[in-house]
Amino acid sequence: MKIAVCIKQVVTREWQLRVNEPKTWIRDQDASFELNEPDAYALEEALRQKEKHGGEVVVVSAGPARATQVLREALARGADRAIHVESDTLAAADALVIADALACAIREEKFDLVLTGLQSDDQGFGQVGVVLAEKLGMPSASIIMEVQASESGLRVKRELEAGWFQWISLPLPALLTIQSGINQLRYATLKGIMAAKKKEIRKVTASGSAAPAQKILRVYFPEKGKKTQMIPGSATEAAKALVQKLRDEARVIA
Amino acid sequence: MILVIAEQREGKLNRASWEAMAAAQQAGGPVKVALLGSGDEPLAAELAAAEAAEVIVVDAAALGEYTADGQVAALAILIEQEQPGHVFFAHTYQTRDFAPVLATRLGRSLITDVTAIRQESGAMVFVRPVFQGKLNADVTAEGPAPHLVTIQIGAYRGDAAVRGASPAAIRKVEIAVDAAAVRQKPEAPFKEAKQAVDLSQAERIVAIGRGIKGQEHLKLAEDLAKAMGAEIAASRPICDSGWLPMDRQIGSSGQTVAPKLYVALGISGAIQHLVGMKGSKTIVAINKDPEAPIFEIADFGIAGDLFEVVPAMIAELNK
Amino acid sequence: MDRETLEVDVLIVGGGPAGMSAALRLAQLQKAQGGEPLAIAVLEKAREAGAHMLSGAMLDPSALRELIPDFKEKGAPVASEVHHEHVYFLTKNSKVPFPITPPPLQNHGNYVISLNRFVKWMSGLVEAEGIDLFAGFPASEVLYDGDRVVGVRTRDQGIDKHGAKKSTFEAGVEIRAKVTILCDGVRGNLTKAVVRRLALDEGRQPQLYAIGLKELWEVPKDRIKAGTVVHTLGYPLKREEFGGGFLYAMPDGVVSVGFVTGLDYRDPMFDPHLTFQHFKQHPAIAAILQGGQMVRYGAKALPEGGWHTIPRVYADGLLIAGDAGGFVNSMRLKGIHLAMRTGMLAAETAYEAIRARDTSAARLWKYEERIDASEVRRELYPVRNVHQSFGYGLVPGLMYSGLSLVTGGWWLKDPMPAHAGFDRMAEIAEYYGEHKLDVDAPVRPVKVDRQLTFDKLTNVHHSGTRHTEDQPSHLIVYDTNICSTRCRVEYGNPCTRFCPANVYEMVDAGDGTKRLQINASNCVHCKTCDIMDPYQVIDWVPPEGGGGPQYDGM
Repeated sequence: MKIAVCIKQVVTREWQLRVNEPKTWIRDQDASFELNEPDAYALEEALRQKEKHGGEVVVVSAGPARATQVLREALARGADRAIHVESDTLAAADALVIADALACAIREEKFDLVLTGLQSDDQGFGQVGVVLAEKLGMPSASIIMEVQASESGLRVKRELEAGWFQWISLPLPALLTIQSGINQLRYATLKGIMAAKKKEIRKVTASGSAAPAQKILRVYFPEKGKKTQMIPGSATEAAKALVQKLRDEARVIA
Repeated sequence: MILVIAEQREGKLNRASWEAMAAAQQAGGPVKVALLGSGDEPLAAELAAAEAAEVIVVDAAALGEYTADGQVAALAILIEQEQPGHVFFAHTYQTRDFAPVLATRLGRSLITDVTAIRQESGAMVFVRPVFQGKLNADVTAEGPAPHLVTIQIGAYRGDAAVRGASPAAIRKVEIAVDAAAVRQKPEAPFKEAKQAVDLSQAERIVAIGRGIKGQEHLKLAEDLAKAMGAEIAASRPICDSGWLPMDRQIGSSGQTVAPKLYVALGISGAIQHLVGMKGSKTIVAINKDPEAPIFEIADFGIAGDLFEVVPAMIAELNK
Repeated sequence: MDRETLEVDVLIVGGGPAGMSAALRLAQLQKAQGGEPLAIAVLEKAREAGAHMLSGAMLDPSALRELIPDFKEKGAPVASEVHHEHVYFLTKNSKVPFPITPPPLQNHGNYVISLNRFVKWMSGLVEAEGIDLFAGFPASEVLYDGDRVVGVRTRDQGIDKHGAKKSTFEAGVEIRAKVTILCDGVRGNLTKAVVRRLALDEGRQPQLYAIGLKELWEVPKDRIKAGTVVHTLGYPLKREEFGGGFLYAMPDGVVSVGFVTGLDYRDPMFDPHLTFQHFKQHPAIAAILQGGQMVRYGAKALPEGGWHTIPRVYADGLLIAGDAGGFVNSMRLKGIHLAMRTGMLAAETAYEAIRARDTSAARLWKYEERIDASEVRRELYPVRNVHQSFGYGLVPGLMYSGLSLVTGGWWLKDPMPAHAGFDRMAEIAEYYGEHKLDVDAPVRPVKVDRQLTFDKLTNVHHSGTRHTEDQPSHLIVYDTNICSTRCRVEYGNPCTRFCPANVYEMVDAGDGTKRLQINASNCVHCKTCDIMDPYQVIDWVPPEGGGGPQYDGM
């Protein structure tokens, strides 16, 4: 099976966000970056499928030059080769533009299976994978917790809400967006890192033509919009008043 | 006109549909509601209670069970026919599965996970969280209408959706969906007890911190949780002590939650805990120390002894 | 257990300034002299090069100039050259400027840098040379063949908190090398083990350490000129305590503010973190920080013992460089250039030894010879007794330090007698008298406003530290019984104070007594507990690869 995994480089969760001067994005010059966590699970799933069924795992990322970091990491973990759609503007682009850039880069390769993480830690669109499927003319299924692949196609376990799940079958080629926690991530190994040095990272220029579908006017820290109501009185009085407020004012309990 | 796409599964309306409705009503302009499925008349009647221009029912056998392809095929035609300015969805797992395909097929903008909407110089400006909620972004849709919008669950109150004086008109629309063209073949949904407690799905949470003092007082918190219909959770020190399992831990090294109600008992509010729960809709803090940082993010606070306040709350709730 | 092995010529353990300089120097020698290419590997425990780097940081560029003459063209992040210097003696509410900047604190020609960025930059050069840089791989053990060091073993990954293997378990790898250069930093776990096993500290004085706490701030851009450096002595320390504060200004309103205290204080209730808060509240410092935002926090121990405490830094198959060897000038408050320099000298020694096919101690002894003939000795020898002299108090210390500039460091007793820092800590009863002291409450509390002053947990959050939760504690306390019994009475559990990251807590055991709780995932890898615990029952071992702080911009 020929599998593509689309991965994104995002700022580390521990980095303290700062907003740039036009206040339209973050100021990430001194940030450190890492592989978007849901994408790590997608990569792991691809490697496990390859171990079962044979084939090839190709990682693809659309982003600035620094994104080679996550491609290298993916190669060290066992991906066979990488494609880097290199463009500075893709770092903060919208889902349609990113998916278009990815589609142009991988369409010719005729993958059997394309995996992405459910969503990214930065923009959090939850769209790129599903849009990419449509651009490639593939069926898709999202928020996947288990993958069973066979010659005839896929049977995958979709997560619904509130503890519900559903198996669905899809013909190949297909695209799946993978939910975090679907598997246990493997550790990088010294041998893997050394082997990664010899693997190919093919750079392609972004050839997508999609017009942006949304525009960020500004980004800002959420204001603490609430005022704390301190409830005075004895313990019994305060408890009574609180329960009443939760029932009638906030309406969060019956 | 805003077209709200309601969501149902197995004859039950997803409550979040009412939240999308409320968002559409508050955004201004006429609202229509569409329901896709097979034989869903009772649900259409339920939706007709809303203050809406009409309820459109798309009834087709191929829509009886949700599939992304079926949904997209039907909605593409419906939107073409109705020509709305915006299409609103609740940001459910189901919406996430097909809305991006729909937007791509229509060549239209899709803005996801919207928490608030403002009008700015004649255009709708959508507020959506980025960087896992650490920042908000104000965004506008580009390109021609209709623009597709998904509303974050819990961002609007379903009961704030305005009900009409009389039921809205229900109109049935015939749209042919070719079952053979649907590539996903679903099986029956099933419920599975997750191994880990998924607190992120809980509507109400009672969380305990160091102020609970001893394991023997756990029952007090559990009784409050029971009286409120809440899950029990804790800050890190409680789980570290083994009083509650690790999967009940809220915070940077545990789960991130955003329930309707979060009651913090004896939790001081270290930043590591706050990052895991500050998105909760209503936060209640009960703590002896009036200077505790938890009060800075609470909606309601009682600076007092939880061992006196909580029993009184339980008594009041059970009245 | 079957372990994979990897054979290299030179293994560098620790990707800090010493390790990176050693790697670059090896690559240069290789290029200049040709021959069969050497296999070189660098191991680093942080998940990314530079992530665990913390220093003030002031860089004396002498070694950099020699190693990378075109460092500016190569984009070295050394933007702010020092322009204005101030040294103040602080009293509670005022500052007294020193009439002249003492020569050791003169910094013209030096740079205020972010060591995190600097090392990240160096790592790029190292990788460009084709050297294998393995980030996220701590070494847990030194491998020996008899008394010969033959490499290290990387830590096993994927062990749960009860010590059982997880499904993702990955056994550590044995990396075997002709020469192993340990650059594992201050109180490095491998250097500690090898010094003990091979008695490399025989005849040396015990190392003296200090702990430095630092915050990175962003203040209004016109508040303070980039290149301004401030050093302080005095408040909030007592006269018997060694240390001082610093504040360095970088471009765009970025300010590095920190406080360093000798880990040889007597007062068992001393709390370096509270001291740092008091320092920031001093009007001279608060005026600069007011209205700004704290963006990063970190802490790290530093070796300050100087010349007489440096162990033998070579053995069969082994060289030790940088902070691991104690190469810091405590008088000038600088060690980066010495780390780089010793890394380079170690590389030269290793290269020559491998080419001569003799990597025994007899050959690697040349490293010591090189150090003796270099700037390292010229710089460290004259100030060999400085920290030790402060063991006698601030005034004698200052007097001696001044005198040493004239006498070349000579003293009646040379080396000046010194004790290990933890040994100097007094017991509660001895220090505070017999009256009852509540050891769970600070003696000099600070009002935390979360604007200028912070509690430890909030600070830890800003260190970006992260560890896999489900792993054994990497802080091994061999006897936790002592914590609730003897230590509580004798020293009042000083670990809860000297740890700058709230790792150690005494919590109610439920039976009226207290028990030790170790919050290992808060650890910022400063090593203070390993150094300062009065019973020496704490052992810092590396956690799972990649765990630890994320010192972006620090």
